[in-house]
Amino acid sequence: MIKWLIGFIVLAVAGSCSQNEGNRPMVFWCSNNAGEIAFAKEFTERWQRTRTDKPLRFQPIPEGQSSEEIILASVVGKTTPDIYANMWQGSVEMYAKAHVLIPLDTLKGFMDFIRSRCDSSVIREITSADGHIYQVPWKVNPIMTLSNRHALNSLRGIRPPFSYTSFLEAGRQFKQDNNGDGYTDRWLGYTEVKAIWYQRLFNFYPLYLAASNGAPLIVNNRAAFNNRYAVEVFRFLQNLYKNDYFSRERLSATRDPFIDERIATQFSGPWQVSYLEKFKKPGFEYDFWPMPVPAALASGNNPIYTYGDPKNIVLFNTCRDPQAAWEFVRTLVDNQGDLRLMELTGQFPRRKQLDTDPYFTPYFSRNPRTQPFARQVRYIKGVDNCAVIVEVFDIISQEYEACVIYNRKTPEAAIRDAANAVNVLLENNE
Amino acid sequence: MKKLLPYWLVAPYVVHMLVFVAFPVVFSVVLTFHRWNIISPMEFIGPDNYVRLFKDRLFWQALFNTFRFLLVHIPLQIGIALGLAELLNRTLRGASFFRAAFFLPVIVSGVVVTILWQQLLSFNSGMLNRLIAGIGLPRVAWLDDPAVAMYSIAIMATWKNVGLYVILFLVGLQTVPPQYYEAADLEGATSWQKFRYITLPMINPTIFTVVVLSTIGGFSLFIEPYIMTEGGPLNSTLSAVMYIYQQAFQYYHMGYSATLGFFFALLILAVVAIQKRYVEQEI
Amino acid sequence: MSTFLRYFLLMLAAASFIYPFVWMLSASLSSESELGNLTLWPVGFTWANYVTVFSKIPLGRAFVNSVLVAVTTTGLVLISGAMTGYALARLQFRGRNLIFYVIIFTMTLPFQITLIPNYITMVKLGWVDTYFALIVPFMLNSLSILLFRQAFTGLPQALIDAARLDGCGELRIIFQILFPNILPTVLTITILTFMGLWNEALWPLIVIRDEPTMTMPQLVTLFSVGGRADGQLTVKIAAAVMLAIPIIVLYLFFQRHFIRSMASSGLKD
Repeated sequence: MIKWLIGFIVLAVAGSCSQNEGNRPMVFWCSNNAGEIAFAKEFTERWQRTRTDKPLRFQPIPEGQSSEEIILASVVGKTTPDIYANMWQGSVEMYAKAHVLIPLDTLKGFMDFIRSRCDSSVIREITSADGHIYQVPWKVNPIMTLSNRHALNSLRGIRPPFSYTSFLEAGRQFKQDNNGDGYTDRWLGYTEVKAIWYQRLFNFYPLYLAASNGAPLIVNNRAAFNNRYAVEVFRFLQNLYKNDYFSRERLSATRDPFIDERIATQFSGPWQVSYLEKFKKPGFEYDFWPMPVPAALASGNNPIYTYGDPKNIVLFNTCRDPQAAWEFVRTLVDNQGDLRLMELTGQFPRRKQLDTDPYFTPYFSRNPRTQPFARQVRYIKGVDNCAVIVEVFDIISQEYEACVIYNRKTPEAAIRDAANAVNVLLENNE
Repeated sequence: MKKLLPYWLVAPYVVHMLVFVAFPVVFSVVLTFHRWNIISPMEFIGPDNYVRLFKDRLFWQALFNTFRFLLVHIPLQIGIALGLAELLNRTLRGASFFRAAFFLPVIVSGVVVTILWQQLLSFNSGMLNRLIAGIGLPRVAWLDDPAVAMYSIAIMATWKNVGLYVILFLVGLQTVPPQYYEAADLEGATSWQKFRYITLPMINPTIFTVVVLSTIGGFSLFIEPYIMTEGGPLNSTLSAVMYIYQQAFQYYHMGYSATLGFFFALLILAVVAIQKRYVEQEI
Repeated sequence: MSTFLRYFLLMLAAASFIYPFVWMLSASLSSESELGNLTLWPVGFTWANYVTVFSKIPLGRAFVNSVLVAVTTTGLVLISGAMTGYALARLQFRGRNLIFYVIIFTMTLPFQITLIPNYITMVKLGWVDTYFALIVPFMLNSLSILLFRQAFTGLPQALIDAARLDGCGELRIIFQILFPNILPTVLTITILTFMGLWNEALWPLIVIRDEPTMTMPQLVTLFSVGGRADGQLTVKIAAAVMLAIPIIVLYLFFQRHFIRSMASSGLKD
């Protein structure tokens, strides 16, 4: 029994340490959805054919809880891949601070490449607090206002794009109590009410970026969102809930309300297209519009910013040939790579002039559904480079719930309290 | 060899205990004095975590929530379990069927029960609100009203566990000698008097067991709010264990999370000790 | 109290415990769009929800994992618990009382205190995402040792002496001679351990990130809180039914034992 037990333990330990460090090929982890696997396969195979001197293989990130947690576990266990494509931009700074990422600007050809791909504001956005760049801006999914075409057409005098005023008016007209029991059962819209931090990336944050023309939340390690834009966003959303234009109950725990036509709008991204195509009823039609903005911005042809949910490519410091890894990454993000990304995954590359570059125009004319997103890609932001960005969003989320959903605070007080709490957090984290 | 035999037999236990009990207890004390996000090296910060704990409004709210849960859960549990046990404590046809039915939710995973109740409690379409509307009362926002949500979870937890306590009370009730009741009948005692002055004192140990077990169970409340409400609305269902989990696995504050766990564990031990003294004196 | 009233109340209570399960089963067999009309029987009967569950998450694999983990661990608990329980009950050695008190102390120790350090132990051993993380921490438990100790104490010494005269080793004495005499205890421990492991969700959520290694409760939890059900309610409910069925089937077979085991665990504190 004892021998058996010891054997058991030895076996277990041996099993966990048997990482063979020989002349192993570089490992490239991609996301685990079908489209991105196909993309990774195609480019890995091309590399294998042309660069036999630098062996490389790809592997979809293990299915599981969430890719963020899997990456964290692999960092802790020192089993990171050489290349990882699909890191949320907000996570990069934390890993950079823990010194597990390779500063890409030290690699040959990187800076020239990045200047040709991105404009200066994007480069600013991805530069770490220490001055290095640890990520290649890769793909985005802009958050826009999804609407049910028939429902919207039935309203009087409401034409998108929406201002706060016209959106609220749409809510007033659309809200309904179908069976007369005193409870609303048709709302203008729904956006997740859960207080979990990342849900604010799909309501508060894109609205804030839209209202402020892409202003940051954090500047010089201080909260920079205690301004009228943030306050007005809170007030706008609070009005939606106060008047019952948006459902306060968690519709996400019930049947899909948009397809069910219990709501007419949602803040959502391009991933919704394939879902809607799969589940919609015949005759159901929908459109994507920019985020609602204050009246001053809605008139005229101002560009409207939103959140792009950027996912970027990083190299981990377990990589022993960063230059070769970078050269491979470069093949993923050149013209051809970006085109194949759109064709295979329906997601959009983060590069300048995507909608006007003649190389991509044939694709957009073949896929008219993607055009609103392609235009929007010019005006997107990621998140600020901050190692505790998750906690920043958590603080905002707490105030959001108290103010917007439950009307326990004025928008001014909520934003002020959030900003103060964020400043305390940032000071303690120095 | 013969002398050593007992040690061989207990060796697996001792090794296991050292690795999974003794070490964690010691290590968690060490962790409480450090800041650590798992990926960077540990950093000694003295008693900062404790200072932070006492100032952490959310942790105190989580503790308060947990007590609010217990305040409803325990009396409800005892009342219903004792009532059902009383009903069953007769030679009754079908008694085993009822026992089995009451026990069904006990054996099923909390995950299942939670997913199920999430639907039953839904504001717009849930079965419970349909029943309530059916008799003409206003709907209740079971999970969306911060003042109500924790009590809804307490009701659900009671539904899940009460079967076990019915059985425990049945066992307890059967230890009461029937002569006591016969004697009381001769004195002309009412049902209530019999219950109050014979049954209750006799099953006092069972009540204690039930209180302690549901306290310990209630303190580990996690999966129910995790699935149903994720701690909301307005943090009203955030339980202490859930907060510890969030600190560790959402924000990677390992040192702080260990501090919360350590403090919370001491609190549990203290509460159970107090209960033991109090319940043994009263009734 | 009249018998009629007694039965009426009992029936009412029984219905409130059984009906939700019937509703759940019916919902899992109903079509999504008609769920709002469901009262008792499935509306718009369909198997599609189950088909969807199996195509979205590797539930079969998770079932195998759950069985593997629960069976292996229960076996180890029985072996190790019997060994320790026997030593404490029938053998004299220095430190016996110390071990006994440590066991009692361990039982009063809230798991919250060991949660984070144990996770870190798993990380350091490289056991995250392996079955070891699910099995090893649970392969011994204090309650089973105490139950074994109590059962062994109640057996006559003559049984052991006779076996020793026949030249049996202590392990053979425990598992061949004494085990058949304490089968109710063995069954109780088996049921308690198995059930606890089958339903455990928190620990797997912490140590397993890799889907092929997940057990059923974890997979169903993640499916339910995550987005992969595409917001389809009946599909989530079908997943919950799949998680409930195995234990309910066992319960139907071993109902009395389940109840007795759980009751005895409650009274041991």
